[in-house]
Formats: sequence, C-alpha cells, structure tokens
Amino acid sequence: MSFENFKLLYMLSCIGLGLIVLSPTLAMVIQVPGGERFSELWILGPGHMAEDYPFNVAANEVYKVYLGIGNHMIGLEYYKVNVKFRNQTEPVPDAFNGTPSTLDSLLEYRFLLRDKEIWEKEILFSFEDVSFEGNMCRVSKLVIDGYALDVDKVAVWDEESGGLYCQLFFELWLYDAAVSSFQYHNRFVGIWLNMTRNL
Amino acid sequence: MYVVKYKSFFCFVMFILLFSWFAHLCFADKAEKALIDAEHDLASAYVAVAEAEKAGANVSRLLVKVEFTGNLLADAYNAYRTYDYDKAYLCAINCSDSGDGIVYAASSLKLEAEEAYSTRLFITAAISSAVLSVLFVLSLFGWKYFKNKYLKRVFGMKPEVVKAE
Repeated sequence: MSFENFKLLYMLSCIGLGLIVLSPTLAMVIQVPGGERFSELWILGPGHMAEDYPFNVAANEVYKVYLGIGNHMIGLEYYKVNVKFRNQTEPVPDAFNGTPSTLDSLLEYRFLLRDKEIWEKEILFSFEDVSFEGNMCRVSKLVIDGYALDVDKVAVWDEESGGLYCQLFFELWLYDAAVSSFQYHNRFVGIWLNMTRNL
Repeated sequence: MYVVKYKSFFCFVMFILLFSWFAHLCFADKAEKALIDAEHDLASAYVAVAEAEKAGANVSRLLVKVEFTGNLLADAYNAYRTYDYDKAYLCAINCSDSGDGIVYAASSLKLEAEEAYSTRLFITAAISSAVLSVLFVLSLFGWKYFKNKYLKRVFGMKPEVVKAE
C-alpha cells in the first residue's frame, strides 16, 4: 500500500468513527421522511368478513355491516365519516377529481386516530315507510344507529340488473389544520341494496 | 257567546302553534351557534394535541378526552339533522365544556416535551462533542504512531537484488 492510500484509509476510518460518535445527535436532529401516507377505509359484512353483505333488503328489518378506518398518515389525524344514501341516478364521489358526492350527509362519525391505529364500528340500519308503486319504490326513512333519517328516495326498476337499487355509502373526510376545515380524503365505500317487499 | 268562545279558542291554538314554531326556530338557531362553537373548540383541541404528540408528549389521556368530545359533537350534528335541536344544543354545549382545558393541557404537555427534548439533545450533543474531541486528539497521536510504523516498515524493506544477465 502506498503512503497516500494509507493516509486516505486512516482519514476515512477517523471520519467513520466520528460519524458513529455523532449518530445519536444526528438522529435527534435530522427527520427522516416516513413512507407513503394514506388511510384505509373498508366495509365488512355481518360476519366481520368481506362476504354476506346485505343486498336484498326490506322495510323494518335490521341489517348490520362493519365500517373500518386505518390511519397510515404518520401522525395523529382527525377523521370524519359522512354517511350518504342515493338512488342510481344521484351522484357518487368523483374519484378522478377527488370531489365528494354533492348529496347531503345524513349522519356522521368523528374520531381521532394515531399512526397505525384503526377504528371500527358496527353499523345497524333499517328502512321505514317503504312503498312500492308500479316499477318504483319510495324509501322515506332510513334508521341508522337509532337515528331516523328522512331520505325520501325513489328507486326505479333497473331492467338490466332486475332490481330497485339504492346505495348506502360512507365518505372519508380528514381535518386539515392549514385551512381549519375538513377536506374530502378521496375515499368512499358503499353497498348496493335491492329494495324488496316484505314477505 | 258560542262564536266568541270558539274564536278565543282558535286564537289560543294559533298562539300556541306560533309560539312553538318560534321557539323551535330559536332552538335551531341556538343549537347552530353552539355547534359552530363546539366545532371550533374541538378543532383547536385536536391541533393542540397533534402538536403535543409531534413534540413527543404522551397524549394518551388527552386523546381519550378528545375522542369523547368528538363523539359528542358527532351526536350533536346527528341530532341537529334529525331536528332534535334540544339534544343538539346540549351535546354541543357538553362538547365545548368537555373540550375546555384540553388546549391548555396539550400546550403544557408540548412545552414539557420540548424542554425534555432540548435537555436530551443538549446532553447527547455534549457527550458526542466530548467523545469527538477525545477522538480527534487520539487520531493525531494515532496518525503519528501509524505513520512511524508504516515508514519503519517501508524503510526496513531490503531492496531486491536482481541478478545481472
């Protein structure tokens, strides 16, 4: 080994040792960027599985689903879930533009989650004042978690799929401290429901 | 006589209906104001707790309180949507009351966490600096030692004698 190489090796060893000694301080000062920031949103059937979702529904029967949210935003977040109900012609959230549905929220849930924490809620719902007329069905009341909500939706017979469809869906909103308001988090889940007559 | 009685009764009923309608409107207005205040209080509480958590404070107990407050606010909004203004107002007021003190507690925790962090940083930096200084001095001696050793080894080498052809 030449003298220059020996000198270089010695210097590098000293710098390496110096960095090792400094590493605890550097770790406290330098913030390493975390991974991808996102939130999970899911809906499960009554058996707590992604199956057996309520589909053919009738008035005065109680149905159950589980709604869950997971926080992977690397920090404490303040969430709001807006519950909405629509027929086939009404707007859904626009995933491409990241805008929520223009329908009014019927009900909401609010909660705070730390990083990697999850929130899950059992949601019980039923329908009241459901009337059928020709190829239409009018749903007047939706009861969710004990709140009787006026929905007044008309579902028209869908020739293609053979049913009177309505959708119950949940939009996820996130509090943005910079603008001091909730912003739509571009996530929603929902279940299609076929309104049927009571047997 | 009968007509007068009938008219009085009608007026009384109308008065009751108007009064209840007016009271309903007043309650709606009151509930709406309480909701706006509660929303603002909860948002402030969240921001304070989030900052405290970011500063490294243990906010578990505060989070339980904020969570409870958030549920109250959601209940208030849900009651408002179902025209139960009385319940909406009560829940919103409870939410504001419950949120009271969260901002102050979170700010105190944040301050404590920041102070603890500064102390920790100072101690770590002081130890690192001391060790680094020792390392620097040792490296100078080390360089002298290794250089001498290296040169001794180089100068101690015998030149290779190659037979002349």
